[in-house]
Amino acid sequence: MQRDCSATSRLLVGIFLLLAASPLLAHTIEGSDASFVQNIDGAAIGPFIYLGAKHMVTGYDHLLFLVGVIFFLYRPGHIVQYVTLFAIGHSITLLIGVLADLQVNAYFIDAIIGLSVAYKAFENMGGFKRLGFEPDTQMAVFVFGLFHGLGLATKLQEFNLSDNGLVANILSFNVGVEIGQVLALSLVYVGLSIWRTNKSYLRHAFAANTVLLGSGFMLAGFQLSALLLLP
Amino acid sequence: MEPQAQPPSPKTLMIASISAFAAALLVLLAFVLPAEFGRDPLGTGGLLGLDALARGANPFEEQVEVHREDYVEFELGPFQSVEYKYLMDQDAPLVFSWLADGEVYFDMHAETVGLEEEEVQSYEQGNATQRMGSLHAPFTGIHGWFWENRTARTTLVRLYTAGFYHTSTVFRDGGDFERVIEPIATPDR
Repeated sequence: MQRDCSATSRLLVGIFLLLAASPLLAHTIEGSDASFVQNIDGAAIGPFIYLGAKHMVTGYDHLLFLVGVIFFLYRPGHIVQYVTLFAIGHSITLLIGVLADLQVNAYFIDAIIGLSVAYKAFENMGGFKRLGFEPDTQMAVFVFGLFHGLGLATKLQEFNLSDNGLVANILSFNVGVEIGQVLALSLVYVGLSIWRTNKSYLRHAFAANTVLLGSGFMLAGFQLSALLLLP
Repeated sequence: MEPQAQPPSPKTLMIASISAFAAALLVLLAFVLPAEFGRDPLGTGGLLGLDALARGANPFEEQVEVHREDYVEFELGPFQSVEYKYLMDQDAPLVFSWLADGEVYFDMHAETVGLEEEEVQSYEQGNATQRMGSLHAPFTGIHGWFWENRTARTTLVRLYTAGFYHTSTVFRDGGDFERVIEPIATPDR
């Protein structure tokens, strides 16, 4: 594992800092959940934990990214290490994002999350190795964690969250996100483990990650279209 | 070291990456753009009828009756309460403003009438001197306000409404009566 900050990571940090200054558009957290969040005044720990967990479990972009991250991680210790890096990353930006009122275009962030899926898939395909360039995978997961957190922060801020109980509510949302992540991860891990007992796993790994790459491109394309075409 | 697939040959890698990108682009251009964003660069949206999905809900809603307007002005003595409600069909719209010269307790709510399954829904409660808004009746029934003067001073309340309601029911002093409200014009037939 390389320890130095790779070019990709540095570029991503740069994009992240630029984005922090751009204006906001809107989407997700829907229907009655949205009106609930908007009407709340004061700490509502249970509901925010639930919303955080729901956001993670039903967010296929997050789920695809997790599939990519743990695709070649066999040891539970490694998984914990990577997922912790990811969690630290998104916790930082979620908290700072909401508290400092950082407003970022949600479609842009979601496009980057789509690209993070494509990035991880390409890495799993051995693409970077073949190109003779090996990005620091831990750093990359951490940086993508920052983006995912910024996406979460943006979604929470689309509602005029009351200052009353704000910190408790964001922390609850974040706890919910981690719970949802553990739930989603368990499912993904069990699925992959079952598949791994089959000899076809390595043979099909390349094809599976090619599909993942395509999905990542599709997610990014979808969000970029929304960014460019929606009023 | 965990088992890891051999790095692919440059050719395989290139073919796989380009096909992933091309497949994503194709799905995006052929299906997602027409269905989600109303753009149809390949003409597939029109061919498969996907463009209909992007049109979304039409903001216009037709109504079959001429709408009605109402203005009432009433006094609430200390600790007196009153209810003004309108009989509305499901999905009928109403706009309103009410203004009082002192703070009153209000509960904007609705309930079913007659033989329908009983349903009660409170939209908003609180203490205020005025509220303005609109309502899209979630079910057929009477929709309106309960006001109560919780002060020792007589308060005047003025209520203005317009919408596709039929009649108005007033609950006051333990009884109720119906007010007939004529449509603002006679329909041309």
